[in-house]
This record gives sequence, C-alpha cells and structure tokens, in this order.
Amino acid sequence: MNPEPFLQLDRVIHEKGRLAIMSMLAASPELSFTELRDTLNMTDGNLTTHIRTLQEAGYVAVAKSYQNNRPLTTCSLTPAGRKAFAEYVDLLEQIVRQNRNK
Amino acid sequence: MDSNWAAEHLQVIRTLMERSALYRRALAPVTILVGAAGTTASVSAWLLKFETPLAFSVYWISVGIISAVSALLLVRQQAIRQKEEFWTPPTRRVVQAALPALLIGFVLGLAVVIAEAQAGFARHPARPTPDITWLPLAWIVLYGCALHAAGFFTPRGLRWLGWIFVFGGLVCLFVWLWVRPFRSQPQLTGNLLMGTFFGLLHLAYGTYLSVTERKNAA
Repeated sequence: MNPEPFLQLDRVIHEKGRLAIMSMLAASPELSFTELRDTLNMTDGNLTTHIRTLQEAGYVAVAKSYQNNRPLTTCSLTPAGRKAFAEYVDLLEQIVRQNRNK
Repeated sequence: MDSNWAAEHLQVIRTLMERSALYRRALAPVTILVGAAGTTASVSAWLLKFETPLAFSVYWISVGIISAVSALLLVRQQAIRQKEEFWTPPTRRVVQAALPALLIGFVLGLAVVIAEAQAGFARHPARPTPDITWLPLAWIVLYGCALHAAGFFTPRGLRWLGWIFVFGGLVCLFVWLWVRPFRSQPQLTGNLLMGTFFGLLHLAYGTYLSVTERKNAA
C-alpha cells in the first residue's frame, strides 16, 4: 500500500471521537451539544474536550444562546472544517481505491 | 495494517451522517395523541349527526388543524424537556417533506367548503345532497403520501404506515365506486373512514411504537 495518502490524513479529524463529531456536523447545519452527546454516547467532559480541540483547529464554531431561559450550546462546522472534512473523506476514498487495485 | 480500515471509517462516517439527518424525537406520544383525537372526533361526528357535506368538511378540517397544532406543541414540549431546540434541521425536513401533500388535502377540503357554501343557498330542498366520500378517501391517500415522504427522515417505519394509508385509501376508493351499500349513507361512511384511518390506525401504530421504544430502552 502506498503510505502517502495515509500520512496526509488530518490527525485532528482522524481521532475516533472527533471524526464522529465532524461526521454528524457535516450532515447538519448545526447541532446542539445535547444532540451530539446523546447520539454519540459521550460524556459531557469527553465531548467538551473534543469540541475544544476542533475549535482550536478552526474546524468547529460554538455558539451559546438561551432558549426558554435555558442555556443552549450549538456547534457547527466552519468553512475550514467543511473543507478539511471533505479532504479527509477524499483521502480515505483514495486509500480504498488503492487497496481495491492491488 | 488492516487494509479495510479506510472502508470501515467511510462506513462509520456515512452512518453517522445519516443518523445526524434523522428526526429522533419520540413519535409514540404524537401518534397516540393524533389517534385519540381522530377516534374521538369520529364518534362525536356520528353522535352529532353531521349529515351535510359542508358540516362534514368544516368539522374534519378543524379537527385536522387542531390535531396538527397539538402535535407540534407536543414536539415543542419534548424539545424543551430535553433542553434542545424545537425547530431543528431534522424537524424542518420532516415538516417540509410532509407539507405539499397536506397542503393539497387542505385546499381540496377548502374547495368543497366554498362550493357547498355557495350551492347550499341555491340547492332545491328536494335535491339530494352530493356524496363527498371521495374527499375523506383523498385525504387518506394524500396523508399516506405525506407520511411516506416524512418517513425518509425518521427511523421508525413511518414509511410503512404511509403505504398502509395509500393502499387502504385506494382499496376503499374502489369499494366505494363499485359496491352500492357502501354508498347508501355517505356521511356515516365518511366519518367511519376518518375514524378508522386517522383514529384507530394511528392508535395502533402509536401503541406499537411505545411498546418497541420501551423494549429498546430496557
């Protein structure tokens, strides 16, 4: 297998938990913190850590607001995050194609 | 290195993206609410003897609007309880998918109301009132289409319920067209159809959902 595409994979996205968050956000304009937590079966702390990492990489934007007097945290992909995710998926597809052609 | 990991990663991504786009609020309370409203409304219509096409149409359009608003309020309450947004992208998709067929049904009903209100004044008392059993049948089939479209964004077999409405409605349409006794009491037939499909069928589906949801939770 040509290792080059594998080496190009974005390390920030490649981690299992962060990949799951990015995948969910890629299919929705925005998702609430609780929706992400419940769907991915993550703890509050775990999800917060992953979102912070993605936020620092510039891939995820976090917005805090109030709904019915309750705090609401929503996450969405930034344009840079959307681009990085698309490139990540492209590389995976490239790797799958390489394996098929072997 | 396992050569399949990339394909597995892609599969995980695909599954998560699909799950993210699905409507995930509990459907059982909503379908039971709509079913209870449909059944009660059908029995009430029979007891109150809504015998003219105008009364039948106005009554069932009102029941439909009240049921839809109540269902949306219930969904909103679920969202508030779970500290989530009400108008989420999946909710929006479900409503957008169901809306065209529901709108056609509403406009058909409204057209009958307007036509009957105008004809009512001019109609000779000796002339029989028209049979509008086609209207509840159209509502059943259109509602089935709405459920089927919305079912693409929900995980719990809503599309099957849509098919039951469509096929059931079409079968009843053929029976109505060719079996005479079915046409002897049009308003009774209309209320019976509405109660069976919008009442009992919803109640049965809601019960199935609540039993399976409880089983899944356990």
